[in-house]
Amino acid sequence: MSEFEKLKVVTKYEFLKQFRRKRFYGALAITVLAVVLTIGLYKGLDLPGRMGIRDSPEFFAMLVTSMSSMAILGAVFFAGDAIASEFERKTGYILFPNPVKRITLVVGKYIACVVATAIIIIIAYLISAGALLGFYQQVPGGILGSMAIALMLACSVISMAFVFSSVFKGGMGATIATLLTYMVIFSVISGVLSFAGYDPWFLPNRAGDAVTATYGITFEQAFGGMSAGAHMGGPMFSSPDPTLSFFVLLGYTVVFLPISIWLAKRKEMI
Amino acid sequence: MPDSILIEGLTRYYNGFLALDNLSLRVKWNEDVALLGPNGAGKTTALKILCGLMRPSSGKAYLAGIDVMAERERAISNVGAILETPEFYPFLTPDETLRYLGRLRGMDGHKLDNRIREVLKLLRLEEWVNVKIEKFSRGMKQRLALAQAMLHDPPILILDEPSLGLDPRGMVEIRDILKEARKKKTVFFASHLLTEVEQICKKVAIIDRGKLRAYDDIARLKKKYRSFERAYLKLTEGAI
Repeated sequence: MSEFEKLKVVTKYEFLKQFRRKRFYGALAITVLAVVLTIGLYKGLDLPGRMGIRDSPEFFAMLVTSMSSMAILGAVFFAGDAIASEFERKTGYILFPNPVKRITLVVGKYIACVVATAIIIIIAYLISAGALLGFYQQVPGGILGSMAIALMLACSVISMAFVFSSVFKGGMGATIATLLTYMVIFSVISGVLSFAGYDPWFLPNRAGDAVTATYGITFEQAFGGMSAGAHMGGPMFSSPDPTLSFFVLLGYTVVFLPISIWLAKRKEMI
Repeated sequence: MPDSILIEGLTRYYNGFLALDNLSLRVKWNEDVALLGPNGAGKTTALKILCGLMRPSSGKAYLAGIDVMAERERAISNVGAILETPEFYPFLTPDETLRYLGRLRGMDGHKLDNRIREVLKLLRLEEWVNVKIEKFSRGMKQRLALAQAMLHDPPILILDEPSLGLDPRGMVEIRDILKEARKKKTVFFASHLLTEVEQICKKVAIIDRGKLRAYDDIARLKKKYRSFERAYLKLTEGAI
């Protein structure tokens, strides 16, 4: 049996495991709720009118699809314990003494996490597209680019979570470390660089902001009426370049995944 | 023909603590050998290295003549193993678990279907085939652990405390299964239960503080020390 055949088997059963867990349905429910609430608030509060902006499907899509990044939280929860739990919960004693390479196991787990997250992201975008069709009878083409960036953002976050999952002894520690890195450390660095007038385009959180930058409306146009404060503005209120952001996120994926494979291969069942 | 299991000078440190001290063993085909020793003697460490879950600080381990460290996947394909207290994915059923592991071991189709039925029947789990493992007791999980170890009918069984967590009936049944298995397979198992070792094996390797203290037939040890228990106590003197 080839290693590719084994990869298909690992992916299938890892995917089955994701589907049997409550956290998949929890992440799906939270994401759907976030999208539906955003749609409801946008229309119910007449958000464009209050902001003094002309309502358009692009502006609607920009705000609603930004909620799809909620799925990233799901990605972290799926991926955080993917490797660590085999050691923490001792399931590795059943899985590892099999004629299958550690790289196959990690890649299979990775694909299963990406697919589970992708399902949530795609459902969120389908709801957004449905709302756009219902309210405006059109779907801006930029929604596809936005979804592509959201999927790549998920891939990069899962890769990062896999690195922590390969290092930490427990899944909870890996999950918290990923969330802290992504939501606190990168945000702080990003904020500091922005204050200093540098565009942190190379940071994944900044690149992830590009999910709202594919509709032909810049941040300046959308939020031009809002004050940025004395030293803010510049990069903080400019739109990240979608193409560049996509490749930045791809870069994080391509770097972090092999690191996690290398770490997982070295990890012992002590 | 290479030996079934060959361990050459295995040494393993855990942060400076010597868990295995130059352990060497040779197990022939269809031999049944128990690795006996007090808690912390290094039994599980030796089995983990044999199954490729851990690297030795020095030394070599071979399964069916294949270097475990150099060709882990090929070496391990000859083995069915239970290590430590294994846990299963709670949201899968025994059927799904065995199907997953069977597929990884290259089994499929009717052969896999039939073998899953056989091992579940042998371990008396056939009524639980489609029940999620989260509902299983410790003893049932141990039965399932033996079922997965025997699933692909491997020539070598490496078992760490195979009757752990079983009730008296379960212990007797597992012993009977292992007695039957040893007719066609190499059974290498770790235990600290003298009665279990005596009932299942003819040969024993007694280790203490990572060192091999004796490797001989149980009958010969009994003769030399007047009883198996005295042999064990004498050879592991000073253990905690």
